[in-house]
Amino acid sequence: MKLAWQNIVHDRARFSVTVLGVSFAVFLMVFQGSLLVGFLRAASRLIDSSDSDIWITARGVQAFEFGTPIEGRVREMAAGVPGVLETSRVCMAFAVYRTPNGKQQVVALVGADRNVGTRFPVPGASGSAEGTPDAVFYDVSDRDLIQVTAMPAEVEVNRHRASIERQIKGYGAFLGVPFLFTSYRNASRYMGAGPEEAMFVLLRVDKGYSTSDVLQNLRQRLPEVDVLTRDEFARKSRSYWTIKTGAGGAILTAAVLGFLIGLVVVSQTIYANTMENIEEYATLKALGASQAFVARIVLTQALICGVVGSILGLLAVVPMIGYAKSLIPWIYTPWWLLLFMVVPSLAMCSLASIASVRSALTVEPGRVFRA
Amino acid sequence: MPNHFLSVEGASVSFGKRQAQVHALRNVSQSFERGTLSLVMGPSGSGKTTLLSLLGCLLSPDEGTVFIEGVAVNGLSEAERTTVRQEKISFVFQAFRLFHSLSAIDNVALGFELRDAHMPGRMEMAKNLLVRFGLGDKLNQEPNELSPGEKQRVAIARALAGNPPILLADEPTASLDAQAGRNICQILRRQVDDDGRTVVVVTHDPRWQEFADRTITLCDGRVEPMEKNQ
Repeated sequence: MKLAWQNIVHDRARFSVTVLGVSFAVFLMVFQGSLLVGFLRAASRLIDSSDSDIWITARGVQAFEFGTPIEGRVREMAAGVPGVLETSRVCMAFAVYRTPNGKQQVVALVGADRNVGTRFPVPGASGSAEGTPDAVFYDVSDRDLIQVTAMPAEVEVNRHRASIERQIKGYGAFLGVPFLFTSYRNASRYMGAGPEEAMFVLLRVDKGYSTSDVLQNLRQRLPEVDVLTRDEFARKSRSYWTIKTGAGGAILTAAVLGFLIGLVVVSQTIYANTMENIEEYATLKALGASQAFVARIVLTQALICGVVGSILGLLAVVPMIGYAKSLIPWIYTPWWLLLFMVVPSLAMCSLASIASVRSALTVEPGRVFRA
Repeated sequence: MPNHFLSVEGASVSFGKRQAQVHALRNVSQSFERGTLSLVMGPSGSGKTTLLSLLGCLLSPDEGTVFIEGVAVNGLSEAERTTVRQEKISFVFQAFRLFHSLSAIDNVALGFELRDAHMPGRMEMAKNLLVRFGLGDKLNQEPNELSPGEKQRVAIARALAGNPPILLADEPTASLDAQAGRNICQILRRQVDDDGRTVVVVTHDPRWQEFADRTITLCDGRVEPMEKNQ
């Protein structure tokens, strides 16, 4: 396969164009993939952060951000179902936040009981500071919107006094509206909700019971609400944001477009490269090269371009995503995405070389006698 | 009894259709004996290269039969014809047809690889061939760094890689000056005298006459009745 490598080295300009095409496609695919993964992750981030096994929501609630109140008795009835170890409440509503310097900002106010989970950002939850009764947390990426210079800072939420006491990480604005986290008691007060009302009732199942049995039991007893496992509700929420709003589809389309643009660029350059060397393929065949030998040369060239282009694309996209995090806090690149993207890029190069392989294989060896 | 080592019998080849049809060969029968150097001469368009293509398993006749080492190759599949070329036939071209990105030694080593992908010591054998043709100091030169005569010697070395019994050359001296051309004639003649190879040369170059065992002249796709024996 020295010929494959030497052909590439010999025509560096063409090789560069091919590699650039692959890099561009890999860059786009990884970037869009990171947007998609980050978007999916952000769409269910708060649900995933709870320690609960089961979520109860009002009937037809599509996503965490669109919860509607459910009666307090639902929680009491759920607590009485065999196998339910513990209940907690979460609520979320849009509220008006007044910054320390008097500006107003719409925020997504999230309140939760302390026992909702250790990873859930709520004042007083384990691992989290107790704070004052009015304590509110916000994500560091929303600093510019929250406009707090020092903590604690006295602010207003829906004309109620609140105290910004801590910055957290990883729960940045997902809808362009910053989250504020506080206790359930505070949140229901800010929202003007009754003390027993909840938007989401979360349940932990006793170890001795099967979650699916408890779920079935709850569904029978509480037909007026939706009873879902945590994963089901997370999936429902992700599905809403990605499919029903079209946002995920747009991101996915951009990723696919990146692949297709890369495919076209790479196909054209690999094809042009093959056609430029078509006389050499004819010579190879005249000298006794098998079809497999000829195909291997074209494919090897394409795969070398794919590997080099992928590496360069990844080297370019990683720092770019790092920079993009300051603008899109929820963008997220899991390590597997980087590895996973090598597969479509190599597939892209192989696909792109199909036309070239065909041309190289069908060239008449008899043309070698044409001067 | 006809000699079927390398021969065509009643071969006809035409290209194109209807009014545009050209009869490149018409009922040609010729045998080429083992260990001889034969010239195929004739004006342009007389069918010389078509005959060479038939002998090289690169083309099948519309009618007639081509024999290589006693085997009729017409009915073989493309893969089988490739194997015949791999094992028995080698080519030298007017335009050299070296692989532009490979050095001289790599070009020759590729010739060995094409005949046997697992052949050990390819580079050493390639080097020996090039040294034999006076190119010991050009091993790592690329084709564009070689003179036309040197290119043709590299091409011959590549053709001889793997020791094929049949060597077919298409105008091998047409692009060369007198000295280089004579040198190539001598090299191909030695392939017959020293190694017993069968060499068929298509040429317009009269310098070849003194190196050939026989000359076949084609005209309008037919063999001219006069055959000159050297």
